[in-house]
Amino acid sequence: MLGPEEADLMTSRGPGLETLFDAALLGLGAVIAYVSWGYGFGSLARPGPGLYPFFLGAAIVVCSVAVIATRAHRTSGGQRLDRREARILVTMTCTFCLWILAMPVLGYVLVTFITAYAFCKVLALEGWRKPLALSATTAAFVYLLFGHWLYIDLPRGILFE
Amino acid sequence: MQGWDLLVTGFAHSLTSVNLVACFAGALIGTLVGVLPGLGPTATMALLLPFTIPYGPTTGLIMMTGIWYGAMYGGSTTSVLVNIPGEAASVITCLDGHQMAKQGRAGAALALVAGGSFVAGTLGILGLQFLAPLLGNAALSFGPPEFLGFMILAFVLLANLSADAPLKGALMIAFGLFLSTIGINPMDSYPRFTFGTEKLMLGIDFLPIAMGLFGISEVLSTAVAKHAPPVVSGVRLRELYPNRDEVRRSVKPMLRGSVLGFFMGLLPGPCTVISTFVSYSLEKRLSKTPQRFGHGAVEGVVGPESANNSAVMGSMIPLLTLGIPFAAPSAIMLAGLRMHNVEPGPTLFGTHPDVFWTFIAAMYLGNLMLLLLNLPLVGIFARVASIRPPLLLPVISVICLVGVYSVRNAFFDVWVMIAAGVVGFFLRRWGYPIAPFIIGVVLGPTTEVSLRQTLLMFKGDMSLIADRPLAMLMLLIALACIVWRFVARLRGRPPVLAMDEGKAL
Repeated sequence: MLGPEEADLMTSRGPGLETLFDAALLGLGAVIAYVSWGYGFGSLARPGPGLYPFFLGAAIVVCSVAVIATRAHRTSGGQRLDRREARILVTMTCTFCLWILAMPVLGYVLVTFITAYAFCKVLALEGWRKPLALSATTAAFVYLLFGHWLYIDLPRGILFE
Repeated sequence: MQGWDLLVTGFAHSLTSVNLVACFAGALIGTLVGVLPGLGPTATMALLLPFTIPYGPTTGLIMMTGIWYGAMYGGSTTSVLVNIPGEAASVITCLDGHQMAKQGRAGAALALVAGGSFVAGTLGILGLQFLAPLLGNAALSFGPPEFLGFMILAFVLLANLSADAPLKGALMIAFGLFLSTIGINPMDSYPRFTFGTEKLMLGIDFLPIAMGLFGISEVLSTAVAKHAPPVVSGVRLRELYPNRDEVRRSVKPMLRGSVLGFFMGLLPGPCTVISTFVSYSLEKRLSKTPQRFGHGAVEGVVGPESANNSAVMGSMIPLLTLGIPFAAPSAIMLAGLRMHNVEPGPTLFGTHPDVFWTFIAAMYLGNLMLLLLNLPLVGIFARVASIRPPLLLPVISVICLVGVYSVRNAFFDVWVMIAAGVVGFFLRRWGYPIAPFIIGVVLGPTTEVSLRQTLLMFKGDMSLIADRPLAMLMLLIALACIVWRFVARLRGRPPVLAMDEGKAL
């Protein structure tokens, strides 16, 4: 059951974000078309490097405008993001990013263990034993699979080299 | 060597330990993925593609198809037992399959589904075996205008069939095509959209985008969803016997589903999903007792389940003969083959006959493996469905991260994957279809080359395309599809084949 605060978020913030996304696509299409213009069209008999991407940029602009116009005429069928969902999404994305940033320092085994543990906690896996066991198993699996079976040279971390 | 000789050689190659293991692993993983709600076959194929690279193109292709195929088998298990479709192509099976389970006929339903899937799979492979080389030979005479015509038709059908909002489908195709233009253009060595960055000179690799759009976005979508673990009732081996009446009523739907599914597989879009809906409505229309549908009609279970298995094989035809993937899983396969410098298309049968025939032979074996795997272990697979996402998602997330990094040892690829994952999450949420996007990325370079070669060939006069009957036919069909969609919209009737975007994946 949603609280009043969450319900409020679903009605106010959701559609705004969706329209912003459509507008971003529209803007991106315009930028693609503009940049392609600079690459040169050539002629139809000898097409230049800008012709094809310009056409795609223009197609993105046209489709985005049509999508925005269509939405103005009907209620959006898209689902909106509430606070709980936004929290999970942001935390998981940050954890993904942290994996990249921490990998060169901590090495792939340790960073995999920490990341897996963080994911378990974000996903509300109860207690500490289950997350710990799952993270340790995952790290061991990654070590055996990538390090020993596939012989992939992954960063061991400046702390362990 | 011709026909059967090549097939025998294919069997000899497929019976190597590596290919057998790949076939079995693909079938098993596919079945598990089909059983588990959330993670679809496309995401799994993208996730496991890096692991197949050391083993060559044939092994990779066998494993990827095994996953796709296995998911079609496995998806029906949870549909019948717990009324939760393991993946999109098993949604329709819930209607009558779960009703059969409620009437104590779960075992019979599962056995008939497995039997139907086996028959459909075998007929599909036979169709692929005989039709693909013929079409491949015919496609040898295709020039750039014909390929351009095929691409345009594929994009129009994809936008029309894969979404209830074709504009969003078209937008995704255009965006995918654009993404493929980043980097040095091979036709004139001109760097585009690199903004002086060296990392972008070679373009954005397909794999991080696919893993992000299908793997990470699915992880994020599953993570934010609220889950209640399903209660799964077990099925014992001795309960797997259908009665004589059920078998009799299943034979025709099984055969009809097989043929229908195979031809639906030739269409762009989520062919496996569409084939199940078309098969279900066909069976209901042909039935003398349509009122039984929705209340445990065995025809409504066997027909669609046969159709989705056969559709997998049908969809391999455009991939292998033209090099054009019409569905997201075949786009992943194309990317995998390209990683090994194998370019599917009309020349595949001449340049790499071993890849095609070993693949065909392995599919026969894989189909048999799936039957043997699914019937006795159905109880275990059903229990897998009760695994909670918090136990699965951390493992999948970490494998995505390490997997994408390990391909080129590049953190840039991991950033691309995460960005694609977050974008994919919102695309799913707001009803943008992801499959056209990824197909656009894969087909982008071929489309541009076909377009530019056609323009060069016709010296800029595109009206000359009227002299190429096949290309013209493709363009006319594409135009007819757009007009049909437009007229249907004006009349306020949605086209029959339009699918829900999220489910279509």
